[in-house]
Amino acid sequence: MSIDPSLLMNAVAAGILLGGFYAAVALGLSITFGQLDVVNIAHPAFIVAGSYLVFALNGGFGLDPVLAGIILMPVFFVVGVLVYRVYYAAFERTGRESLAGLAFFFGLMFIIEVLFILAYGVDYRLVETDYIGKQIEIGLLGIPWRMLVPFCAAVVMTGGVYLFLSKTFLGRAILAVSQDRLALQLMGADPIKIKQIAFGLGIATAALAGALLIMIGPVEPTIGRLYIGRIFAIVVLGGMGSIPGTLIAAIILGLAESLVATYIGPSWAPTVAFGILLLTLAFRPSGLLGRQA
Amino acid sequence: MANSLTIRNVEAGYGSVRVLYGVSMDVNDGETVVLLGSNGNGKSTLIKCITGIVQPSGGEILLSVDGQQVNLIGKSPEEIVDLGIALVPEGRRLFPALSVEENLMLGAYRKAARARIEENLEFVYTAFPRLRERAGQLAGSMSGGEQQMVAVARALMSEPRVLLVDEPSVGLAPILVSRMIAKIKELKDERNLTVLMAEQNFNQAIKIADRGYIIVHGHIEFEGESADALRNNEMIREYYLGA
Repeated sequence: MSIDPSLLMNAVAAGILLGGFYAAVALGLSITFGQLDVVNIAHPAFIVAGSYLVFALNGGFGLDPVLAGIILMPVFFVVGVLVYRVYYAAFERTGRESLAGLAFFFGLMFIIEVLFILAYGVDYRLVETDYIGKQIEIGLLGIPWRMLVPFCAAVVMTGGVYLFLSKTFLGRAILAVSQDRLALQLMGADPIKIKQIAFGLGIATAALAGALLIMIGPVEPTIGRLYIGRIFAIVVLGGMGSIPGTLIAAIILGLAESLVATYIGPSWAPTVAFGILLLTLAFRPSGLLGRQA
Repeated sequence: MANSLTIRNVEAGYGSVRVLYGVSMDVNDGETVVLLGSNGNGKSTLIKCITGIVQPSGGEILLSVDGQQVNLIGKSPEEIVDLGIALVPEGRRLFPALSVEENLMLGAYRKAARARIEENLEFVYTAFPRLRERAGQLAGSMSGGEQQMVAVARALMSEPRVLLVDEPSVGLAPILVSRMIAKIKELKDERNLTVLMAEQNFNQAIKIADRGYIIVHGHIEFEGESADALRNNEMIREYYLGA
């Protein structure tokens, strides 16, 4: 079989762009699960909630989806803080977070899905802007704006979170909180407050990720389920909480899915994430950039 | 400005187990006071009471710092740290998956310490040149002696007025214990600290002590007004020196 260079080139470009978007989707989980050890399987549901609210802002006020996503981030931050407070008071404080906490987030996922089914039905929704549908042509390479804009937004958001976590006092406290709570108190920080802020930040990223999700393609209320396996695979491959690791792992997954879809068949693409997850757990459980002392 | 700790009749325990029975002691400005006792007599519990990790069931712990006096009972560890007390905890309690420098930066979390973070970092790197060499290394991958250096340096990053050191000798080779203890004395002099050190290694602790207390089963059994008074005490001969 000869490889068509333009097909390969386009598959690689599409994979990298898709991977950037995956980084935005996984970023929040990289904080909540990777740093705080909270198994937030409702994260994709928050992303879909972000998509629908962006859809409403876009349809109602004609706002650009990226702008709408950014506007929603503070709202999502507050929601995240409140969700963590409930989670902490009900489960974490009493040490029942492993199973009961998992059920809590599973339930939260269903509630969010049902709310949007009730509000918008099960039809696919999409957003409209001038640039969605157009693409940049460079020789044989075609780069659609609906992929390029999410890629850029995702890289900027990931970079911002990385700088926040590594360069600020609050950020470093977030990196430390799951390692030794008492020691963090001895540094003068309140671990519960730190975790609230971190969880809020994780959920805030879901607002923009939701905007990107609905730019890339149409969204229905349960579409988030397609992302649960992917984002856990990315966080584990990236090295549990490493932000650069999350970006690299997301791009690896995007590339792998794109190449598999192009050369083996689109129906195989969803298996890639689980394949990567299994291989990571078998051969490099600490992930690509995991910090294991 | 004078910094001191006044501990009066502190009672504490875990559940129904009482550990401290009316403990009173003083740590005056600029002193190095050692709290001596073998394992299980309440040294660490008293340190935990001062730092708010354990809430005493009775008594008073008064901190004088920068001209004001505050009762520490009922305050959380983070509030107490904010007042200017730093603890080098037993077992060091570093953040193992963070680098040495990240650990040190976290030491400067308290608001009052942030303004002078550059100078303080330079100070601790000068005091422990090994840490400058290892700044990017994960704290958990270092040797016990190096980890103890990080723990002391991290506490100094918060610009404490009062430094508490809990069992600095645990897990260290004897040569490292004696170096670490000498280093604490040196840093205390350079930074005009007031130091309370809980230690079971009598011979090491006594080297830098101005005064000391011996705690046995949760009671202060002896108060030595000088290092010599401690050295010559009958009980110490019995407990530590086997005479």
